[in-house]
Amino acid sequence: MTSEKSRRKVALSDAAVGFILVAPAIAIFCGIILYPFVNSVLMSFTNRSLLNPDFKLVGLQNYQKVFGDPTFLRTLSNTGVFVLFATLLPFVLGMIWAIILNQKFRGAGFLRGVTLIDWIIPGASISFLWSFIFDANHGIVNELLRSCGLISQNVNFLGQSGTAMMVVIIARTWQMLPWYMAFLTGGLQGIEYDQLEAARIDGANNFQVFLKIILPGMKSIIIIVLVLGIIGNLQHFDIPKVLTAGGPAGSTTVFSISVYRQAFESYKVGIAATIGTIWAALLAAFSFFYTRRAGRD
Amino acid sequence: MFQKTRSFRAFLIFFSIIIGILVFFPLLWMINTAFKPATETFRLSLFITNPTLENFKSVLMSPEILRSMGNSLFVSFFSCFSATLVAMFAGFSFSKFRYAGRKVFMSAVMMAQAFPQAILLLTLYTMMQAMKMDGSYIALILSYIAFILPVGTWTLKAYFDQLPDALIESAKIDGAGWPRIIFQIIFPLAVPGAISTAIYGFVWSWNDLLYSLTLITEPARRTLAPALVMKYMGEFNNNWSEMMAASILVSIPVTLIFIMLQRYFIAGLTSGAVKG
Repeated sequence: MTSEKSRRKVALSDAAVGFILVAPAIAIFCGIILYPFVNSVLMSFTNRSLLNPDFKLVGLQNYQKVFGDPTFLRTLSNTGVFVLFATLLPFVLGMIWAIILNQKFRGAGFLRGVTLIDWIIPGASISFLWSFIFDANHGIVNELLRSCGLISQNVNFLGQSGTAMMVVIIARTWQMLPWYMAFLTGGLQGIEYDQLEAARIDGANNFQVFLKIILPGMKSIIIIVLVLGIIGNLQHFDIPKVLTAGGPAGSTTVFSISVYRQAFESYKVGIAATIGTIWAALLAAFSFFYTRRAGRD
Repeated sequence: MFQKTRSFRAFLIFFSIIIGILVFFPLLWMINTAFKPATETFRLSLFITNPTLENFKSVLMSPEILRSMGNSLFVSFFSCFSATLVAMFAGFSFSKFRYAGRKVFMSAVMMAQAFPQAILLLTLYTMMQAMKMDGSYIALILSYIAFILPVGTWTLKAYFDQLPDALIESAKIDGAGWPRIIFQIIFPLAVPGAISTAIYGFVWSWNDLLYSLTLITEPARRTLAPALVMKYMGEFNNNWSEMMAASILVSIPVTLIFIMLQRYFIAGLTSGAVKG
């Protein structure tokens, strides 16, 4: 009797302890994510400016302005192009690189580590590096193309609309290839050998094994990594900002740059919130997929 | 996994060269340029005739860069430590406890990264202004924790999932209270996951540009990425070698930490993702 009483001295039930443990995370979520998000969406219905503490509701006026603005369409297509290529390229290259480095040879682990350096360097540094490589006057790409006779004059990669986006995509691909490689390496190493053996016995060649056993075996990792990659690219700010500042002529302005510019350079927080809300709606679609996948664990 | 056929070998060699050059050459080029005297950056040579440390010296002697590195160290350590702690509590809670709202909380934390960070920033900035707290590191650190949590919680939950419930049961039977169970038994077993989260958190905080550029306005309190951008943005045409030296210097702390703890990081990423 007495021993049971003393054990029940600890008044907290298991569920309560669980609650307490998760409280800090939820508090931070509410304070940094939930409240600011709702408030920002509400801001899109006002004419708020950073220059003036007063503001009033303007209904859907901001949305009319944004949708009527031709630059919005360009921002949308820039973001679409960026997300498409900056996700697919590093994914494919990362997969191939993962396969290459998965071959058991000495130094594979070391090379994997060095590859990851590309990912952990600050985005600002990466932007400096690639702006140098593609520089119009002193960049090595121009030098190489000239010495191969492919061009007769230096190309101003960062000063022209089409090529500027290309450089941004290349820089982002370079940055993210290691990340995809790391995840996909995990996926590759999780493939069961029995299935591989069975396929070999049935006479499958490398390509068939890849398509029929390996890819399906990696399906959940592939989906996760693509969804996370798309979400990350939809939000990405550093490289377009530092490499090209959203230019030239707005050709590398993606959503994040557009919102930043409206809010902190034009001080029109209401308009910025409008663009942001539209952007968030797009992101919501992808995050839905992600939580469904992650929730299966 | 793959049979070493002729075509596979060709595939390996071809892509090894192409991807190898893509992955490694820019790094070499960055290092190469950083050691060139400023006069020589315009000569595109692979071999440095007069390697020099003058670029590194210039960067290290610029007070803004040094100060910003110190600021970044403070903010990053604080953020990664706090985020790891919060993530451990949350991951443990999600893994071994059942309570009303658990699934909702899990979705909430996971979805944190799907909210466009720029739009959250709008309110965070106005909030800080209104509270006269602009320039303090609190908002910055809390924001970093919020963004580190999804990956951290996911990683640590996966680690805790692998711990047998029997461990906790037997500790309870022995009469241990929750604090003891948590800190003395459970957490030590999740150290690899914690390290993985801490690394992720440190890298995130160290590299961040958007939030640190916007929330910290006083030059003396700036962190690294904004300081770099402020100093070198206008100088694209002039000082490539110093820019490369600066880029290397700011990458050294994260690179060192990463190299030392790389194993944990990849293990942490993949243990969460590859579930049996």
